[in-house]
Amino acid sequence: MNPLLAQFLAEATDVLTQVDEGLLQLERTPGDPELVNEVFRAAHTFKGSSGLFDFPELTRLTHAAEDLLDQVRGGAVALDSGMTDDLLATFDLIRGWLAHLATDECLPGGAGADSAILITRLRAPIGGEAAPSATAFRAPGQRDVAPAWLGHFDQIWLGEIATWLRTTSASMRFVRYLPDAGCFFRAEDPLHLIGQVPALERLGVIEPGEWPEEADFDAYACLIGFVLATRAARSEINYLFRYVSDQVEVVDLEGEAILRFLSGEPDEPEMPEEGLARPDPELVADARSILTAALRSLATDPTGGPHLASIAHSITAAAQTLGRPVAITRLDVAALTATATRLLDDTRALDETIMQLEAPAATTDRIPMDQISIDRAGADDAGGPTGSRLLKVGQEKVDHLMELVGELNVAKNGLTFLAQSAEEEFGSRALARRIKDQYGGLHRIAEQLQAAVMDIRMLPLSVAFARLPRLVRDLSRRLGKSVELVLEGEDTMADKDIIEAIADPLMHLVRNSLDHGVEPAAERVAAGKPAVAKITLAATADGDAVLVEVSDDGRGVDPGQVRRTAYEKGLISEEELATMADPDAVDLVFRPGFSTAEQVSDLSGRGVGMDAVRAGVEKLGGSVTMRSQPGRGASTRLRLPLSMAVTQVMVVSVAGQRFGIPVGLVVETVRVPAAELSRVLHQDVVVLRGEVVPVVDLARALEMPWLPDESADRAILIVSVAGRRVGLLVEKFHREVDVILKPMEGLLAYADEFSGTALLGDGLVLLVLNLKEVLGLAARVG
Amino acid sequence: MPLELGDTTATLTGVVTVDEVEPLVGWLRATARPRVNLRRCDRLHTGAFQAMLHFRPKVSAAPADPFLATQVLPLLARG
Repeated sequence: MNPLLAQFLAEATDVLTQVDEGLLQLERTPGDPELVNEVFRAAHTFKGSSGLFDFPELTRLTHAAEDLLDQVRGGAVALDSGMTDDLLATFDLIRGWLAHLATDECLPGGAGADSAILITRLRAPIGGEAAPSATAFRAPGQRDVAPAWLGHFDQIWLGEIATWLRTTSASMRFVRYLPDAGCFFRAEDPLHLIGQVPALERLGVIEPGEWPEEADFDAYACLIGFVLATRAARSEINYLFRYVSDQVEVVDLEGEAILRFLSGEPDEPEMPEEGLARPDPELVADARSILTAALRSLATDPTGGPHLASIAHSITAAAQTLGRPVAITRLDVAALTATATRLLDDTRALDETIMQLEAPAATTDRIPMDQISIDRAGADDAGGPTGSRLLKVGQEKVDHLMELVGELNVAKNGLTFLAQSAEEEFGSRALARRIKDQYGGLHRIAEQLQAAVMDIRMLPLSVAFARLPRLVRDLSRRLGKSVELVLEGEDTMADKDIIEAIADPLMHLVRNSLDHGVEPAAERVAAGKPAVAKITLAATADGDAVLVEVSDDGRGVDPGQVRRTAYEKGLISEEELATMADPDAVDLVFRPGFSTAEQVSDLSGRGVGMDAVRAGVEKLGGSVTMRSQPGRGASTRLRLPLSMAVTQVMVVSVAGQRFGIPVGLVVETVRVPAAELSRVLHQDVVVLRGEVVPVVDLARALEMPWLPDESADRAILIVSVAGRRVGLLVEKFHREVDVILKPMEGLLAYADEFSGTALLGDGLVLLVLNLKEVLGLAARVG
Repeated sequence: MPLELGDTTATLTGVVTVDEVEPLVGWLRATARPRVNLRRCDRLHTGAFQAMLHFRPKVSAAPADPFLATQVLPLLARG
C-alpha cells in the first residue's frame, strides 16, 4: 500500500474518534465555542488529508460536513440533534469506507450515491448549496486592473502571456497568496496548496524586503509569499484557499491590462464605489464572452438550423443580461452576426461608463513588502515545536517483539538444563556455577525486557469505553429514555488484547442496562427517582487484575422473576426454584438460553445474551458477577487479568505426558489414599472436608491409556470451573510456570480441549488444557 | 528518510515535511558551498523552499516531480 495512504488510514481512525467524541460532548454542552472549534478542526484536518488522495466522494462528503460545522462555528446555525445525527452518520459512513480503503485501496461502489444523500441532508440547514464562503475574497474581480504584485512574476514571461492574452482576447486569473508567518505551526504548507491548483500556469515568489541575518533566520516562520497565474475556475481557487481566504487575493486580467502594467502606465483605478447604479461588471463580461463565442461559431460553422437556433438563444440571453433585449426573427447567419456585433459594441460602451464611474476609487491593495515583514516579525514568536515525540508503531511489530521475548525466555530457561548437564554429565561443578551466574544475569534482563514490552502493549481503558457514549446516545434516543453515562477510571491500564476483547462484552452490558434496567422517565419519576437515569462504568486496577463495573440505577433484576423464567425455560428444576438463594438466582441470567425480556427488542435481542458476555470474559481468563438491588439498580462486575501475554499454568503429568492447567482455576492439590475414592452413580467422588467432589480421570477423558499404581496415593487437583468444584485425577504434580500461550492453529485448530500451546525451558511443548471442554469430554466418555 | 545530509550535498527524497526544515536549515547554515539534490523529491515543504531561497544552495539535480520541476525549480535557480 502507498505509505501515505497507510498513514492516512492510521491517523483517520484517531481523528474520527475525536470528531465523534466532540459531537457527543457538543450535544451535552451546545454552543461551546472551544468544542465546536475542536470538532471543526478535526474534520478539517481529515478533509485536508483526504485531499491527498483521489477519493472525490470522501473529500466531498467531509467537505459538506465541514461546511455545516463551519456555519455552526460561525454561530450562523445552532447544532440540533438532527444535525448531530447526520454528522455522526456521515462519519460512520466514512469509517466504513476507510475499512474498504484499507483492504482494496478504493472506495466501495455506491459511495457516491450514499454520500449524495448525506451531503443533501448536511447542506439543508445551511441553505441548500454550499454557502458562499468566499466573502473574504474581493468581490467580482473581472476587471482590468493590474495590481502591483504582478511585479513578482518573471517579467519576460508576463510580457509573453500578456501578448498572447491580447491576441486571443482571453483573460487569466492571478492570485497573490501571503501566508502568515505562523502557518507552518498549523500544518499548512502553502507550496503544497499551490501545487494543487489546477492548470497552474506560472508561479512567482514574493521574497521579504530584507532577509533576516543568517543567525536569526527562523526555519519555522514563513517569510515568503507567492503569486501565481492559473486558468483554474474562480470556484476552484476559492475552494482550495478557503481556509486562508484572508491571505489570498484574486484578480482576472486581460492582456491589455498586463501590458499597461508592464509599460509602467498608471493602472486603471480599483473597485467602483458602492451604491452607484451600474450593470454588474461580471455579468457584462459573461455576456460579452457569450457574444464573442457566438460570433466565432457563426464565422466558423454557419450551418444547420438547430445549431443556429441555439446560438440565437444564447444571444437573446446575453442581450437580456445586458438590459437590451432583442427579438431575433430570422435564423440566418448574417442577421445573427449583425445582432451579436451590435450588442458587443454596446458592451464596450457600457464598459467605458463603468470605468469612468470607478475612477475616483482609491487604490488599497498596494501594501509595500517591507510593511508586511514588519507585521510578520510580531507573529514570529508563535512558540516553538511543543509536545513529546510519539512513535506510531504497528501492533504486529509489538506482537512480534512479545513473541521474541517469549522465545528469549525459553532459550534462557535452557541454560538451567545446560548447567545441570555440565554438573552431571561432565562433572564440572565450577562450569555449572558459571553457567548459573550467566543465567541469573540473563534472567534479570529478560524480565525487564518483558516488562518493557508489556508496558508498550498497555492501553488505557478509555479505548474500550470509546464506543459507549455514542451507543448510549443512540439507544437512549431510540428508546425515548434519558440516560447519563458516567465513565470513571478510564486511564486504568490493561493489555491491549484485554482492552480489545472487552469492548464487545461492555457494549452488550451497557445495552442490556439501557434496554432492561433503565425505566422510562415517567416510571422513574413515579418511583421517586430522578428522571435522568445514570449508567456508570468504573474501572479500577486490583493487583494483577482490572475490575470493570457497569452499574445502573434502574429497576434492577428481580430474582423471583429470574427464577420463574429459568424454570419455565427448563434451566432449573422445581426444587431449585423453591430453594435457590437470591444471589444465585441473579446469576442465572448468565445461563445459556436465558432472556428475561418479555419481548425481544431489536436492541438486546440479537441472539446473544448474557451468557455470551460470560463466555467472552472467561475466555480472557476473567470472571463476571452480577449484583442487584430490585428497584434500585443492578451492577455487573468484570474481573479481568491485566495481561494475557503471560499465563501462569500449573504443570501436571497424565499418563507420562505433561499438561498445563491455568493457575486461576486451581483451588488446591490433594493426595488421597486410593481407598478414599468412592464411586457414586458411575462417578468417582472424593469427600473433602465434608464436601463431595466429583473426580474426573484426566487420562480417560483424554483417551490416554494409563493404569495407576494400586497402592500409591492418588494425586487430585481440585479446580473450580464455572462455579463448580471438580477433582482431576492426575499422575503427578509439577511446578507452576509462566508461559506465553500460543493459540492452537493450523492442523490443531479443531482441538477444542486445548486452549493453546507453550514452550517449556527444556524445549518441550506443553499443551494447556481448556478445562470446560475437557470436563464436557469427560462427561461424554462417562 | 526524506533528508540525507552529506558533506557538501543534501539529498531530499519523497515527501519533505516541516520536520525536515530545521535540520536542513542547520545544514545549509553550516555548509560552505551547499549543493542540494532534488531528483527524487516529490513534495517540498514551503519552509524548506524558503530556506533554499534564502541560502541559495546549488541545485545539483532537478526534481522529477512535474510541479517542482516546472514551477518551483525556476524560482530557486533565479538570481
